[in-house]
Amino acid sequence: MPGKPLDPTAMARRAAQELTPGAVVALGPGIPCRLPGELPPNGGVWFLAESGVVGFQGLGVDLNVVDGSGEPVALLPGGSFTGVVNIAGILRGGHTNLAILQPAQVSASGDFVHWTTNATGATGTTNATGTTSATDGLFAPGSAVDMAFGASRVVAVMPHQGPAGQPNIVSQCSLPVDGVGCVDIIITDAAVIRVGPTGLELVEIAPGWTADEIIAITDAPLTLATNVKDMTFEVPELIPPNKVYATAIEALKDVPEGAVVNVDGFAGPGGMAHYLMVGLRDVGVKGLQLISNTAGIARMSAFGAPNIIDHSILVENNQVAKATASYPVSPSASRPSAFEEAYNRGETELEVVPQGTLAERLRSGGAGVAAFYTPTGVGTLLAEGKETRTIDGKEYVLEMGMRADFCIIRGHKADTLGNVVYKGTSRNFNPVMATTARITVVEVDEIVEPGQLGPEEIVTPGLFVDRIVLRPPDFSAYL
Amino acid sequence: MKSLADKERLPREIVAMRVAKELPDGAYVNLGIGIPTLVSSFVPEGRTVFYHSESGILNCGPIADEGEEDIDLINAGGQFLQRVGGMSFFDSAEAFAMIRGGHVDVTVLGSHQVSATGDLANWMLPQRGVGNVGGAMDLAAGASGVIVAMEHTDRNGQPKIVEECTFPLTGKGCVYLIVTDLAVIECDGKRLTLKEVAPGWTPEEVQQLTGARLTISPDVKEFEL
Amino acid sequence: MTSETENPPRQGKVFPSGLAALNGITDGASVLVAGFGGCGIPVKLLRGLAEIGVGNLTLICQGAWPQESGKFGIADLVAGGQVKKIISPLPFLPDNGGPVKELWEAGKLELEIVPQGILAERLRAGGAGIGGVFLPTGVGTRFAEGKEVRQFDGQDHIFEAALKADFALLRAQAADTLGNMVYQGSGRNWNPIMAMAAAVTIAEVDQVRERGGLDPELIITQAIFIDRLVLAS
Repeated sequence: MPGKPLDPTAMARRAAQELTPGAVVALGPGIPCRLPGELPPNGGVWFLAESGVVGFQGLGVDLNVVDGSGEPVALLPGGSFTGVVNIAGILRGGHTNLAILQPAQVSASGDFVHWTTNATGATGTTNATGTTSATDGLFAPGSAVDMAFGASRVVAVMPHQGPAGQPNIVSQCSLPVDGVGCVDIIITDAAVIRVGPTGLELVEIAPGWTADEIIAITDAPLTLATNVKDMTFEVPELIPPNKVYATAIEALKDVPEGAVVNVDGFAGPGGMAHYLMVGLRDVGVKGLQLISNTAGIARMSAFGAPNIIDHSILVENNQVAKATASYPVSPSASRPSAFEEAYNRGETELEVVPQGTLAERLRSGGAGVAAFYTPTGVGTLLAEGKETRTIDGKEYVLEMGMRADFCIIRGHKADTLGNVVYKGTSRNFNPVMATTARITVVEVDEIVEPGQLGPEEIVTPGLFVDRIVLRPPDFSAYL
Repeated sequence: MKSLADKERLPREIVAMRVAKELPDGAYVNLGIGIPTLVSSFVPEGRTVFYHSESGILNCGPIADEGEEDIDLINAGGQFLQRVGGMSFFDSAEAFAMIRGGHVDVTVLGSHQVSATGDLANWMLPQRGVGNVGGAMDLAAGASGVIVAMEHTDRNGQPKIVEECTFPLTGKGCVYLIVTDLAVIECDGKRLTLKEVAPGWTPEEVQQLTGARLTISPDVKEFEL
Repeated sequence: MTSETENPPRQGKVFPSGLAALNGITDGASVLVAGFGGCGIPVKLLRGLAEIGVGNLTLICQGAWPQESGKFGIADLVAGGQVKKIISPLPFLPDNGGPVKELWEAGKLELEIVPQGILAERLRAGGAGIGGVFLPTGVGTRFAEGKEVRQFDGQDHIFEAALKADFALLRAQAADTLGNMVYQGSGRNWNPIMAMAAAVTIAEVDQVRERGGLDPELIITQAIFIDRLVLAS
């Protein structure tokens, strides 16, 4: 007599053991939505709802705050609202550590089917455009496809068997799949199964079950791990990682030589991380490839000042190997910037990119869009050597998404979870760049506690920000 | 006899005033640097125009008074702005979504050269070897097309309206109207049609200072403001 | 010489009724409808569509999920036979199909399923003047069938074309008379992206405030994207 299937809460608690502090976690509908309610509401992980919520915990009462199933959820202090397109970017752009889904089927190689109208598993087909006709089954994945393809790791939480006793873990999916080889681990009401390169491996067993009983209700071949354990249901303690750094140098000392660094500031001085720039200079790392709207013209521009700190301090310290910019040099040829002089001496490389293309390449990089077709620059020097394509009678040029190793941005305020707000036109490239880097460092005038920035007010959700530095009150942006 | 080079031309303000007449009521407008910046001062009475700037602001207010400059409130030309009701802030990706997506109705730019087919060359002087493209290419590619406001000839008296641009292009066939200190010229992508001339100038004189052939409109008239 | 600050705001954005705001919508129109679950649904405008009786519509939306009793929704338009096709990531819920499932099974409604993130990105591309994008989502699945596949950085990506529509029906918490808008909670959902991607955008709002009545840092949808406004009640 096999053991009793676990209840959904127990499955959710086991799934919670896959979480790590600070993780960004996308939850599909069904059992996964029970996870947040099983954890202490301390903001230790970021739960995403595809309805446009970042950072929630458990069920709520406000009908204006719903998760992907349309159920009300409670926003955490430090949670925020964003649109569906930004959630899609968070999923696709490599920002999501974990997707937790409840598929209808998972195969031996980690393929999965999310759900179908026919729970007994009638087969259906879809034509090339994805249009379903009335004779087909309906297979509507919602966000599951985005989650499965976007997240670093995919956890399937599901009953081991369907309502009619049919196996849900199968050699091959009998229905059109929503993801190929996406699932990494399966947590069922009877067992935990790892999806390995050579097939499925039974790693944990629920109380009251034996390995043979589990093999008997699994259609796919199952091997036993060398050390099969009992499933446990304690949830981990998840303390939010500390993001606040004491100084700019502390926050930037591991920038590697040759790093690609995004630097904001439309032209400066507004929106420019002067304190972090000084920190980067003092760290002294060489060979930097800057991506920035300008390559340091605040000293020459109308809104700057001759002694203002800008990219020039990095150029003068021989740290810049390349700049990618839309407005790289001084408006006046007779007053060249430090970058232009270095460029003319052959010490730096330059890639000029139209400003909107620069913004879109960064946005794409951050949102997991590999490349896009833009009408900007068609027939010009800046499109030379690039693919063009006519779409609906209009000519476009192919441009690539762009990412960076580090990003230094300038916010007005941040909370300790990394949520950032900006001030006026100093927003410009900052929120876009914040999504593109492996490590994003923000310089702010004020650091506050989570909850002190309103959820409608937050522009950059904290999941994009790794390090926060307070601009010292006595810091001067002038040399 | 005075040469054409010395003959009096219209001041920049009049050029800006003539461009302002082209802005429809309720239009969203992006103004480039130079003469275009002046256009906002001459919008005809009774018309409301909303200004967009690549710095990430819509419904820009007037230029800030001296002593009131705020580094967090600028337009793309680097001017400090006043705070006004109805303005909004957004990031660069959205600023250019508005431009490329055809949401900005009118773009007014200065230029080094404009060709007979409406090509625009305004971002780079070849002799410098490097140039600032900024948002110009995106504005040129925006669905609405471009009005060019510029001097008719360059500092050396060379025509800026040419058969084919010799400077690097900003956009192909994107200019639909050219307003200079001598003339108003329509551009349909095939030919340039001279519609208006500055007071005291004849169409033939304008043609002499133009590097591309002009079709003279049968109802060509003096600048109408 | 005038300055725009002295002039009255652009006239004509605030319409007196839902029907007036829907002026010009015709049979066969493609319509973006914002909303997610019960949040941010333009109920008055959907009722207006029912009243006008316009047919053969293609709706692009999160889904036609059943609403609380008494609340009008997309499902009611479908039940009324006005909808030819729905493009959606999840047209109906697995356990509650409603009229959408019925009509689809009867062959009277076409459904095109697009994963949510792909649909969002296609609409953003349409609104932002991008011709199309290469996305990693859905490689090897039916969602990639018939589409160009290309490698970037050694990974397969699928070409997805931009998507635009004739109309967008939106729902916001408040607008100013210029058309700047703010949302409440997850009421934001599809609204900002759909606001960019239609020829005519119509927003139903709880409040219309005077110019200056919204904080410029908090405005989510800028006036440039909004053509028509109507009060929800």
